[in-house]
Parts: sequence; structure tokens; C-alpha cells
Amino acid sequence: MTRTLARVAALATVAALALAAASAGRAASGPIKIGISLSLSGDFSDSGKAAERGYKLWQKLVNAKGGILGRQVQLSIQDDTSSPTQAQSNYQTFITKDKVDLVFGPFSTLLTAPSAVVAHRYGYAFIEPAGGGPAVFQEKLNNVFFTQPAPVLQSGDVFAKFILSLPASERPRSAAYPSLDDPFSSPIADHVRGILSKKGVKTLYTTIYPSETTDMGPVIQKVASKHPDAVIGGTQNDDAYAQVKAMIQQKFSPRFLFLTNGPNDPAEFPSKVGAKNVNGIFSTGDWFPQEHSYGNAAFVKAYIKAYGGTINTIDPTAAEAYAAGQLLEAVAKKTHSIDNKTIISALHKGTWRTVEGNLRWNSIGEPQGSDLLVEWINGKLYPVFPKSVALHKPLVPKPAWGK
Amino acid sequence: MHNVVQAVILGVLIGGVYALMASGLTLVFGIMKVINVAQGALVILAAYLSYALFSHLHVDPFLSILIVTPAMFVLGVAVQLVFVRSLRGPDSQELSLLVTWALALGIEGVLSVVFKTTYRATNPSYADKTWTVFGYQLSFVRLMAFIASAVLLALLSLLLTRTKFGRAVRATVQNPTAATLLGVDANRVQTLSFGLGVSMAAAAGAVYGVIYPFNPGSHYDLISRLLSIVVLGGLGSLGGAVVAALVMGVTEAVVAVEWAPTWAAFSYFVVLIVFLLVRPQGIFGLRERTL
Repeated sequence: MTRTLARVAALATVAALALAAASAGRAASGPIKIGISLSLSGDFSDSGKAAERGYKLWQKLVNAKGGILGRQVQLSIQDDTSSPTQAQSNYQTFITKDKVDLVFGPFSTLLTAPSAVVAHRYGYAFIEPAGGGPAVFQEKLNNVFFTQPAPVLQSGDVFAKFILSLPASERPRSAAYPSLDDPFSSPIADHVRGILSKKGVKTLYTTIYPSETTDMGPVIQKVASKHPDAVIGGTQNDDAYAQVKAMIQQKFSPRFLFLTNGPNDPAEFPSKVGAKNVNGIFSTGDWFPQEHSYGNAAFVKAYIKAYGGTINTIDPTAAEAYAAGQLLEAVAKKTHSIDNKTIISALHKGTWRTVEGNLRWNSIGEPQGSDLLVEWINGKLYPVFPKSVALHKPLVPKPAWGK
Repeated sequence: MHNVVQAVILGVLIGGVYALMASGLTLVFGIMKVINVAQGALVILAAYLSYALFSHLHVDPFLSILIVTPAMFVLGVAVQLVFVRSLRGPDSQELSLLVTWALALGIEGVLSVVFKTTYRATNPSYADKTWTVFGYQLSFVRLMAFIASAVLLALLSLLLTRTKFGRAVRATVQNPTAATLLGVDANRVQTLSFGLGVSMAAAAGAVYGVIYPFNPGSHYDLISRLLSIVVLGGLGSLGGAVVAALVMGVTEAVVAVEWAPTWAAFSYFVVLIVFLLVRPQGIFGLRERTL
């Protein structure tokens, strides 16, 4: 009786193993399904669509090479209407109903933070291109991997490092910090101020203006009255344009001008402030079209072929999304697996090459690199620091307006 | 002191442009008791039209006022005939709020599709020109914007005070029933006045685009400012709108320079609230009499 039972148990075990193997074989033979929630409508739709272009371009290129581990990649993209709750709901559906193999992140910190929690709950790796704000990392999730070189709040640090790399006689002695009241603007300038003030750059004026401030004239008037060597503004695009226009109109040209956003958009900035006024203005960026990063030249070429335009019209968000795909490709190649647990474990070790540079993260997904310092020189935008990625010598001090 | 005087100059120049935007709003309210919350969106629509004329046909933004204003007058007349006039009954004023808000959202949606949501700016060759007068900076475009606004407001004032149409408008503002009994065609006056209000938004929009970057969502900030100007000036009062706009411009600029930009808009609202506590009908508004 005991032997019979043992035989039955052995047979059942063999049958179960065979079924499991067959089932696994079936799953491994189909396409790899990746769920992505994107803001294809609503406030973030421009950037959401840019991310979509990056993801789809990567899908096209990777499938042309034979896919990942011999399987084609299939993206399942759902519109979240720029709503965090809809994004959360989309990821819940991807994972529990559609049973996708993997997920990639949405656009913006606002949507990434709650979505990463959903992915974490089910043990999914969350490779995400556009959620670099504190809200994402405050969750302290081990499944998050932000595919940019540095967290948003530290994106301006590269300017401080550049200033401190200059000979003491060339550094600014004083600075003013007019910044937008926005979680992705004024804290960046504050961070830079913290670094520079410790090194002796005197803070002459610091102010935060509300987002509804359309007229930057009075703000710049106050800044100009303090005569700072450097103006360091935590900005978004429209207030950056307005700051520069107000400086021009008030004939105030500081020796150093660094704005966190606005000047880093080569397609828009010259038309907003006048092409002859851009020279010598610094900004920061996570990606640059001429950057010598891994696969960047191929990405740029394929992007223009697929979507048209020029290198200056490529939205960096597309590159960030493309980098998420590159990362998956690399980790799957290295581990021979697309298992989420394996991916999470592997990505926490070593450095990974992408169009966004060589990326590595701490335990909560904060990248440990540095953004690029970009500067307008002779009417063109170049990375100028760190030296290892610079394509032009920095232009200091800033020329007068119109020069 | 230098900073304060410079701030007053900036405030007066920008206040003039806001006065032009608000003039249409207060005019329409005075005649029809309709709060046109699409006024901000209409300003932005005009800014885009002027931008398109400048970008594609190289039409100077100040000259584009001559094209944009009549075009949007026609649009205003059409909106009044199709959407506003049909509102009748005791709730018509409240309904007009919803209708004009829907219009604002519609304009924003269309602009988002056509022009995308990236910021635009009309940058003529003289955009950077600045004069230094007694040590004070006078931006050429801001001065031109102020002069254009002042001229248009003066023309509007002449229209209202020196023409038969203007008399009909003023009569309708003061007593619609009596005006009708005396032979004023109220429907015609309302339609033309709505068109006139929109055309003022159009002229201001062409000017606005030269001074500020804008995108389809810029109307939200604008309408809140315009409403507060109209309330401070006295609902329906053109002169009140001008004075209130200048008060707003100067208050915000001086507070931003001497205190902090964070308190600039707030300080204006403090002025508004304090003034309304003392004089609820606004600067030039008439106190309503009740039996």
C-alpha cells in the first residue's frame, strides 16, 4: 500500500513538473508583453507622446534585431489622461488582469510615485524614465530604476561643480537666486546655493515667485539692483523665457547665468528670447543629441528617420524612454532572464550603459551620476561640463546681450 | 527710491495693457449683465492669431491689431448670436457663466491641438530695444503696448460718448427698460457690444504676445486678474477698469520689488478686499438701490 502510494505520488510529481514545463514553454514562446501607462492626453500629453515615441522606437529596433532572448517585444500602452489615479489603475490592470511580463514607467514624478508602489506590491521591476522627483524616492522602493543620470533635485549640482572647477579669480563672488515656486525648480537652485555659499560665493538675493507671476520685470529689477556676478534661477520654461527677456529689457547682463530649465530646449529657447541673446547662458540636461553615450548616434539617426525633424527637435523624454528599453535589453542579455526578481537584483549591481550615459543606482533607485552642463555658444547648445562629455570649451564670462 | 520709481513705471506700463483686456469684460457686463469668463481665452486666441501672422506672413504684431481686431469682432458677434442671446429666463446670467466658460475651454482645446501646448512668444526685431531715461529703463515694446492700449481705450471712450451707438449703449447700461421704450434696439446693442468687448480682448492679445510667452492654458491666470480688476473698478465702469488695472500693476510691481514677489498678487487682493469693504460697488460702480 505504501509502495503504491509512493508510485502515485511520484507519478503525480512527474506529471505536475511536465505540466509546469509545458506551461513555462508556452509562456516563453510568445512575445514579451510590457505594460506602459502614458499621458497621451491631458496636461502632460506633449511629454507623454514624446515618451511613447522613445518606447516605440526602441521596440522597433529591438524587434528588428530578433527581440529579447529570442522573443519579440510587444508594448501595451494605455492613456492615463495625465491622472495619477488612472496611471495606478492602468498598472493594476496590466499586472493583475493582462498579466504582462514587465512594466515601464509613465511620465512625470506625479504619476510615477503612485505607479511604482503598485509595481512594488506585485514584485515588478519599475524601470522608469521620467519620475526623478523626491516623491518617487521617498517611498524607498527597491524596484525603482530612474533612467536619467541624476535625481531632479541634484540636476543643478553640475553647475556648482563647474564653478568650483574654475580658477578662483574667474569664479563669481556673489550670486542671486530668483526661482519659481515649484517642487522641481526652487529646490534645485537651493541645492546649488548650498554648495556655492559654503565655498564663499556670497548670496546677495534669493526669492521665490509664484507660478502665476507673468511679469518678471519687478523680480529682475530687484536682482539687477543687487549687482550679482551670477544669477542662478530654478525655472521652468515660461518663467525662464520671461526672466531672460526682462534682463535684456533692463540691460542687465550678469557674468554667469544659469537657469535650470528653458535654455536647455534648443528648439524653443532661441525663438523665445531672440537667437542673438542666447550666448553664454547655462542650463542642465540629462541627455544631449550629440552625446557620445552608448547607442546614442544610432538612436538619433533612427529617431529622425522614423519621426522626421532635426537633432534639435528630439524631446529628451524620448531618449529617457528609449534608455529604459536599452536597460531591459542589457539586463536580460546579462542574466538570460526577464524574471522581475532577477532584474531587480541585477540592476542594483554594476553600471549600465544607455543613451543617458552610464547609469547606476542606490538601493532606492536614485541614480548616482551627474547631469550635463550645457551652454549656448555661437548660437548652438553644447555640453561643456564635465570635461569627459564636453563637446565645447565653456564660454565665460557671459557676453553682453546681442553678442 | 530708484527701485520704487522703476517699479511704478513697470506697473503703469503693464497696467495699461490689463486695462485694455478688462475694458471688454466690464463693457459686456455693464450692458448684458454677462460675465464673459472667456475673455482671458479670447485674449490668448488673439495672441496666437497675431503670432501666426507674424511668424508666417511677417506682419508686425502692433499692425496685426488692425487685422485681428475686426476678425475677432465678427467672432464675438457670432458667439453672442449663437450662444449668449439664446439664454433667457431668470437664470440667464448664471447660465451665461457656464456658456462662456465652455467657450474658454473650447478655445483652449482648439489652440492645444493646432499650436500644441509649448510656449510661444512674438519676438519682433525691436523686442530688445530699451531706452534709458534719467537712469530708468523704458522697454520699447512695453511702452508701445501701453500707448496702443491708451489709444484704443480712448477710441472706445469716444465711441461710447460721442456716437449714437455709444448713447444707446450707455442708455442700456443705465436702464435697459427705459432705453427700449425710447426706441433703442436692445438686441442689436447687446450683439454689437459683445463683439466690441471681444475685439478689445483681441487688440490686447496681440499686444500681450509681444510682452509675455503664452500657451493655451495662459487664460486661467488672466481671467482671475481681469475679474478682480473689473470688481475693483466697479462692474460696468470703463474708467474704473482703467484705474483698477493701474492700481493692480503698480501695487504688484512695487510689492515684488520692495517686499517679495510671493506677496505681489496677494497684496493687490488685500487692496481689493479693503476697498470693497469701504465701497462695495467698486471705484466707479453705482450702488444698487433697493426698495
